[in-house]
Amino acid sequence: MTPKTAFPCAILAAAMLTVMAAVAPAPAAAAEVVCRANYDFCVEVNGVYPPDARFLVAETRGKFLVDIPSQAKSVLIDMPTRRAVSVPREGLKVDGATGLVRVTDTGGAGAPAYALSIEGPVMRFDADTSKVRILKVTERAPLVGPVTIEALAADRPEYREGMKAYTPDPVAIEALKKSKKAIEIEAFFGTWCPHCKVYMPKFLRVMQEAANPNIRLTLIGVPKNFGNEPGPWQGKTIQTIPSIAILYEGRELTRMSAHEGAVPEIDLATLLSAIK
Amino acid sequence: MTGEGITGRRRALTWLGHAARIALGVVFLAAGALKIVDVAEFARQTASYGLVGMRLAAVIAPGLIALEIALAAALLAGCHVRVAAIVTGLLLTLFIALEGWGIVQGRTESCGCFGAYVQRTPQEVILEDLLFTALAVMVVACLGAWEPRRRRLAVTVVVTATVATLGFAIASPLLPIDPWVTSLAVGRTVEDLGLAARLPAEVQASGLVAILDLADPASKEAAAALNDLAATPGLPRVLALTPSTEEEHAAFMWQAYPAFDLLTADRPLLKRLYRRLPLYFLVRSGRVEAIYPGPRPPAADLLLSGAS
Repeated sequence: MTPKTAFPCAILAAAMLTVMAAVAPAPAAAAEVVCRANYDFCVEVNGVYPPDARFLVAETRGKFLVDIPSQAKSVLIDMPTRRAVSVPREGLKVDGATGLVRVTDTGGAGAPAYALSIEGPVMRFDADTSKVRILKVTERAPLVGPVTIEALAADRPEYREGMKAYTPDPVAIEALKKSKKAIEIEAFFGTWCPHCKVYMPKFLRVMQEAANPNIRLTLIGVPKNFGNEPGPWQGKTIQTIPSIAILYEGRELTRMSAHEGAVPEIDLATLLSAIK
Repeated sequence: MTGEGITGRRRALTWLGHAARIALGVVFLAAGALKIVDVAEFARQTASYGLVGMRLAAVIAPGLIALEIALAAALLAGCHVRVAAIVTGLLLTLFIALEGWGIVQGRTESCGCFGAYVQRTPQEVILEDLLFTALAVMVVACLGAWEPRRRRLAVTVVVTATVATLGFAIASPLLPIDPWVTSLAVGRTVEDLGLAARLPAEVQASGLVAILDLADPASKEAAAALNDLAATPGLPRVLALTPSTEEEHAAFMWQAYPAFDLLTADRPLLKRLYRRLPLYFLVRSGRVEAIYPGPRPPAADLLLSGAS
């Protein structure tokens, strides 16, 4: 080929490439993934639990999202391939009404990816310098000793969100607000206890809603082997937790039924109305 | 004391012995009858002590139930009463020792002495068993070598009861007796089932609730089918409840990838609803509309039509 003929050929080739690029289908955008927060699991990063970190389960089978806003980190997990891919946080759209999170950018080929492993009930992966573990909230080191509702809600998302999700009976709450009977409540619970995780958020929401200074609550976290550990739970004949003792004029009147199906505001209002 | 006085006292003791014999017989009869409707649960409770594995417990459970019924029949029919009372006492002593060992191990679950439907703390169980042991001692002390008039009939009753119990215990898991021994029934409200506080409002309005034993390999297949249902538009919201442990729940999440809500729930709360798992039921407007026995969930078109 001579230089004379080479130039028109190059022009022609360039034009063909341009046309092909224009008509060729664009790479398919990855389908958006819709996720729902799951507060049965918690996110541990380098041994600590960022309060805003959330674990979300996708509606797409086998996908999970780990979102850590305070560290500007979001990782989409694909369990069948055992891969964790970093996704841009600006690609997360939160639906305020439903709480659903839509992952619009599921990470392209160039997105950082990390290998993940499963060790029994714990999922783990290393994202850059962060060692991330996903585990059941009941596996976290327990909160032990007296604690306020606010401190508990700040430290344990499962309690915070459980309190938000519960709608107490308004009639019973009104009765609790108006009660003039001065009672003390000693509530022993364990952040490691699955029954407490179901019942206590409802009970604490009731305490918040009632906001009655005549009803004084002492909230005490107990360790796993509380029967053998010294602490304020000793001598209280606690056989099961949560154990919620109602004291009136310094004497223990009764303990509230704290099973999973119990309705604490109605139980407490009934107890108060029975006090003569 | 006069001869008449001695005779009167002896007669009173004999009556006391008979009262203890009948009371103990009724207790053992009730214990066996309550366990026989859910032999699998009794086997699970036996295995939960950690002394025998699940396979051996599945063999021991029907045998233990048959032994309890045999002892009950012997006490009630008056067949070798002294031997029956001594064996009953020894069995109760073994139960007390097991329960004490359980407390030392930090066990809080009830023993299953009266099946899955009567829940007590281990301390309450020990107290009860001590009382029953006292009854056995009273039978031995007060009745001595007493024998009924119709000994052959008594022996026939005991043998028949034992064989019948053993046969029923082995066949029990396959018998269609669920509607009579569980609380789950069409038309029941979620409040009746004790689930009002556990099921989200959306599920109570229209939801397919699955109860899964996460340790059972069949649950993985069930989860795959439930995932398909959860992804099908227009169907009721899918939610699963499980009496399994937190560890089993976590492991299941990473192995079966449920794309629906999976909640752990108190075993006594759920146990009233089933004999065999997996089990599914459709809830509409807060009421059970249909029940679907496992292992697979109902087909999507069945749910769309709402038929059972």
